[in-house]
Amino acid sequence: MLIRSKKDWELPESVVTAEDRYRRRNRRDFLKHLGVGTAGALLGGHSLFGASGGFPSSANPAYLPGDLKVTPYDLITSYNNFYEFGLGKDEPKVNANMGWMSEPWTVEIGGQVRNPLKLDVNELIKKVGGIEQRVYRHRCVEAWSMVVPWDGFALSKLVALADPKPEAKFLQMTTFFDPKNVPGQRTNNLDWPYLEGLRLDEANNELSFIATGIYGRPIPNQNGAPLRLVVPWKYGFKGVKSIVKFDFTTRQPRNTWQVMAPQEYGFYANVNPKVDHPRWSQATERVIGSGFFAGKQDTLMFNGYEKQVASLYGGLDLRRNY
Amino acid sequence: MIAFLENLLRSKAFVVTLLVLPGLWPAVPIVQQDASVLADPGKYILHHLGFMACVVLAIVLTFTPLRVLFPSSKLAQALNRHRRLVGVTVLVYAALHLTMYVIYEGGFGTLMNDISKPFILTGMIAFTLLLALAVTSFDAAIRAMGGKRWKNLHRLVYVIAGLAAYHQIAAEKIFPLQVVWIFGPVVILEILRIRKRTAKKTEAIQA
Repeated sequence: MLIRSKKDWELPESVVTAEDRYRRRNRRDFLKHLGVGTAGALLGGHSLFGASGGFPSSANPAYLPGDLKVTPYDLITSYNNFYEFGLGKDEPKVNANMGWMSEPWTVEIGGQVRNPLKLDVNELIKKVGGIEQRVYRHRCVEAWSMVVPWDGFALSKLVALADPKPEAKFLQMTTFFDPKNVPGQRTNNLDWPYLEGLRLDEANNELSFIATGIYGRPIPNQNGAPLRLVVPWKYGFKGVKSIVKFDFTTRQPRNTWQVMAPQEYGFYANVNPKVDHPRWSQATERVIGSGFFAGKQDTLMFNGYEKQVASLYGGLDLRRNY
Repeated sequence: MIAFLENLLRSKAFVVTLLVLPGLWPAVPIVQQDASVLADPGKYILHHLGFMACVVLAIVLTFTPLRVLFPSSKLAQALNRHRRLVGVTVLVYAALHLTMYVIYEGGFGTLMNDISKPFILTGMIAFTLLLALAVTSFDAAIRAMGGKRWKNLHRLVYVIAGLAAYHQIAAEKIFPLQVVWIFGPVVILEILRIRKRTAKKTEAIQA
């Protein structure tokens, strides 16, 4: 049994601002209430003892911000692509917080594994040894980018826990399917539920991460609560949100965007400034929060993670395998 | 009520206000410090200016069919007085949209790079055609060209509308339904107008 100790940021339901008041708030108040200034200041230091889902998180020294400029909390949580909750960037923040519940949450791990599991998300976090903080670049296929301080655990730990059989070659991850409570899933904008996949060696790469928090706090619904994939060398759409199922497969999964538009979105979706999207260039990117006239910055090969991941793709034609 | 509306629409100042005010909309979320807009304010303004160009284009395209379908309507007549003003406004929004694009991309590099992509190419062709229509929109140009040639040239506005609709769709990952709301009414009005014309022709032949 997991005994959940109350953290200092947890508040009783009685002090929660009424929704209509919350909507009318101005940004300054919002920031003050959330204490974002404090979180930002802490992040400048070396460790952050925030929490996510009731677990303490400390910074992984290998993934400190360094000279990266971390994107403010309110921008990370207000500018989201989560089509289950609307097509506009501003919509998920509203629609994902109108009663949709990301708690309690059951996760299923199955397919070609020796240790299939069906368990509560908090139980899973406990089993993989808790969470840590990593600051990663995030590059969207729409040519914008952020720097996000994620809390979570290495995906390789989940793979080890599942203990895949030798025939398992890929890991498929699926978002929840709840059209009754989630407006976007009643449309046919995408082929629901959202599905993504990695080669098993990609899943075991040191960078592959399951995020359960941002800025030391539980990950907000609009960012993919309670757990989502983060693969920072790939375009953002690979980061499947609100996962309910991890499936170890023998064959390469057909990911949602590839099914939607195969000539535009592939299985690999590695960030590559030399391979354009058919409709726009991927050579540069807009940094979210950089203001009006900042222009764009150059996009890096594998989003700056070439050292960690280039060896995965030796001999692979990256122009054909986009 | 309708008479009041007619009088209002006859006023140039009123029409100009109607055309300009919605263009200033991005100021609202920016002043309110809406985080989802502040995340990328340039893109928000860029998209809004393009959206305005499409909306005003669709509006001006309804004027002629409305006049043909409702020849005795004072309202349709009042609107048709402002064809040139509204048409030139399309160019103004398109020019602001293109300028914002160049500023947003930090120079002409991306434009030069992406001009071969249908998304950017359609936008640029539409803009060039708009420019051609705008510079020939003055009385002197109509006189110099002769009515028939002028009319043929200005029929390019339908090509512009098609290009603009494609350009708007290509800007998004998922088909944006707003394109249907913007250009759908124009398509319906044009179908009705053509049906009325063919009905008249058959009548004339039968008589």
